Amino acid sequence: MLGLWRKIRATGRVAEPATPPPSGDSPAAATEFGGSVQIRHVDAGSCNGCEVEIGAAFGPVYDADRYGARLVASPRHADALLVTGVVTRNMAEPLKRTFEAVPDPKLVVAVGDCARNCGVFAGAYGVVGAVGDVLPVDLEIPGCPPRPEAIVDALRKLTGR
Amino acid sequence: MNLVLVALLTAGGVGALSAVAGLLAPARVRTAVVGVSITVSGAAAAVAGVAAMTGQGAVVALPDLLPLSGVLITVDALGGVFLAITGGVAVAVGIYGIGYCRQHGLNGRGVQAVLPLFVTAMLLVPVAASVGTLLLCWELMALTSLLLVVAEHRSRPAVAQAGRWYAVMTHLGMVAILIGLLVFSANAVDGSFPALRDAASGLSPTVAGLIFVATGIGFGSKAGIVPLHAWLPRAHPEAPSNVSALMSAAMVNLGVYGIVRVGFDLLGGAQDGAATWWWLLVLTLGAVSAIYGILQAAIGTNLKRLLGYSTTENMGLVLVGVGAAGMFATSGDLPLAGLAMAAALLHLVNHAAFKTLLFQSAGSVLAATGRRDLDDLGGLRAGMPATTAAFGLGALAASALPPGAAFVSEWLLLQALTHGLPTAGASAAIVMPLAVAAVALTAGLAVATFVKAFGIGFLARPRSPEAARAAESPPSMLTGMGIAAAACVGLALLPTLVLPTIGAVAGAIVGSTDPLQIDGMTIRLVGVAGSLSPLMLTIALMIGLAATLAGVRVLATRRAARAARLWDCGAGPLSARMEYTATSFAEPLQRVFDDVLQAEQDVDVTHARESSYLVQTIEYRRRVPDRIERRLYEPVLAAMAAWGRAGRALAPGSVHRYLGYGFYALCGLLILLVVTR
Repeated sequence: MLGLWRKIRATGRVAEPATPPPSGDSPAAATEFGGSVQIRHVDAGSCNGCEVEIGAAFGPVYDADRYGARLVASPRHADALLVTGVVTRNMAEPLKRTFEAVPDPKLVVAVGDCARNCGVFAGAYGVVGAVGDVLPVDLEIPGCPPRPEAIVDALRKLTGR
Repeated sequence: MNLVLVALLTAGGVGALSAVAGLLAPARVRTAVVGVSITVSGAAAAVAGVAAMTGQGAVVALPDLLPLSGVLITVDALGGVFLAITGGVAVAVGIYGIGYCRQHGLNGRGVQAVLPLFVTAMLLVPVAASVGTLLLCWELMALTSLLLVVAEHRSRPAVAQAGRWYAVMTHLGMVAILIGLLVFSANAVDGSFPALRDAASGLSPTVAGLIFVATGIGFGSKAGIVPLHAWLPRAHPEAPSNVSALMSAAMVNLGVYGIVRVGFDLLGGAQDGAATWWWLLVLTLGAVSAIYGILQAAIGTNLKRLLGYSTTENMGLVLVGVGAAGMFATSGDLPLAGLAMAAALLHLVNHAAFKTLLFQSAGSVLAATGRRDLDDLGGLRAGMPATTAAFGLGALAASALPPGAAFVSEWLLLQALTHGLPTAGASAAIVMPLAVAAVALTAGLAVATFVKAFGIGFLARPRSPEAARAAESPPSMLTGMGIAAAACVGLALLPTLVLPTIGAVAGAIVGSTDPLQIDGMTIRLVGVAGSLSPLMLTIALMIGLAATLAGVRVLATRRAARAARLWDCGAGPLSARMEYTATSFAEPLQRVFDDVLQAEQDVDVTHARESSYLVQTIEYRRRVPDRIERRLYEPVLAAMAAWGRAGRALAPGSVHRYLGYGFYALCGLLILLVVTR
């Protein structure tokens, strides 16, 4: 326990310096959240590359939490869905139900090329389509996988900070 | 003839007649006749008890009824409390039994004749006023209850085992009481209670202590006090539910009655400074029983076993009050002693009310589903709304939270214990804070236990097809539950109606004035600062609850309502297998108290034949053994079994040898007599 405290004190802050808020148009509903957005992540059929990058984006280095974005454990608590991967047959219905479970107003963010346009899995037999074919997508983050900076920038458009 | 005598004779007469009716009445009306007469008998006894508590008394001497000692019956205030409690329980259980016995196939002649005898024996124990009478009634009560416990032995083998435990322990307890009271009456003129009272001052402290401990062992085992509780969680679940209610709400009380009668009344332990260690012992055992009982109840999943352990807990709390009263009285602080005794007596009344209700509702569930494991129940709210409401009310009363009934008595108990610090010596200064902590821990665990029993057992979705098919009980059972529920509500809201009488009796037991002052709806403590108004507290709680609900409703209507699917992780549909179970609910508690409970867990993983990375089946077993039982009883039982095997060599089956044994034993005895004379 004491070793942990010593490590915390010795390491200090490792977060990247904060940059000015990203420019560019943000979704209309984002203004209603008042700088704090609770996010539920859904893996609709991802290869887990995007998950690794999301994990990094919410880790101590990129620290998306300081801009008001926060991962939560239930769609009932969420303002936005962070969907990764192509939408597979098995996950199409659960994804729709998850979307229905999120209270209004709500946003959908498609993370990665698979979520935007099926990427390398386009035309595969188990794939229903991109996230946009199933849900109304408000924001897309390109990349295979997207860099953590790109994810943080996109989330800052939602929080406005 | 005064009211007490008339009522008592009515109770006894109706009880005896209904035993005859149980034998003679035709099967069609048998349960109804017996049930109604138990209720009438109980009501008469309750009237007698209440009249005795308010100061009337009665003495009946029948010197020729029993050879050598005769029968002496005296109704006094202390006996009146227990007479009234037992009578009240019998009123509710009598009506309940009509439907329950019919549904469960318990309408045979034997059971229906023994049931009223059991009730009558319980009514006679607190009014018996001589050693012979008390022992006779006590043994009658033990035997009839034993017959009722084993009533269903044909359908379930566990009943026979429970019956053996109960028979052995209750009779060992009887032997202990017999030794204590015989030593006592050997030092007195005769075995009547007035003679014993006169003799008490002449006893040496050692003999008095011996009498108290010997009778305490017997009475304590009847009250289910640790470590003599082993029969209780076995016999209560296996007995028919109306019998469980009678045993748990009325019979165990008589153990407390015995301790109070012998300790305070006959031995005069309240005035005797040398007797402090008796009450320290009672208080310590009470505190240990309370914690151990409720811990086992919090972990258990068998509904009736859980209620049985809760009985151990509540008797423990009562004995904490009794022990504290004794300690305060011996140190000279009489108002506080009266307060502790009043708390103990009120808790007895409350426990009788809510335990009757809980066992009756558990019996209804058992009758409707045939299941007693909480992990197989659930979803009973839809099929059995009245039973669910009854159990909920009983669970609230048992949880020591306002507006429950047990809250008032545990509040009084805590007041007595916390104000006891400055008065007594070093032992009290150490024991009282520990007792406060024990009572507080018990109250907290009781809440967890009853949230589990009610939430898992009655709410959510049914976990078995039997629970899904459950239908409401017949009207007679619901009426019985209604009476007990009304008593629970009354005791929770208006304890001010019963407290003046109970306070006066408690004061009389320890020899002080009334420790409580009732001021309209408010209970005020005499001698120490403190007051409580249960009705006002309940009204304030209700107003607060209504205001919160209204506020939430107003806030909710500001936004448009939206119909949404129940969240099931998107996969759906929700099934009963996704629910919290009683085992999983108790798991955190089991971890916290692992050092005490030492649960045995076992996980067996079978791998697939093709690869050790593929799992075929996982089997998980958990067992929480009763540690006291394992450490204390199993070695004794094993030693007795070994002794029995060794003794078998002496019994080869030859009649000549057996005759020889008798002959030589007799000769040896005669020689011994000649030598010692």
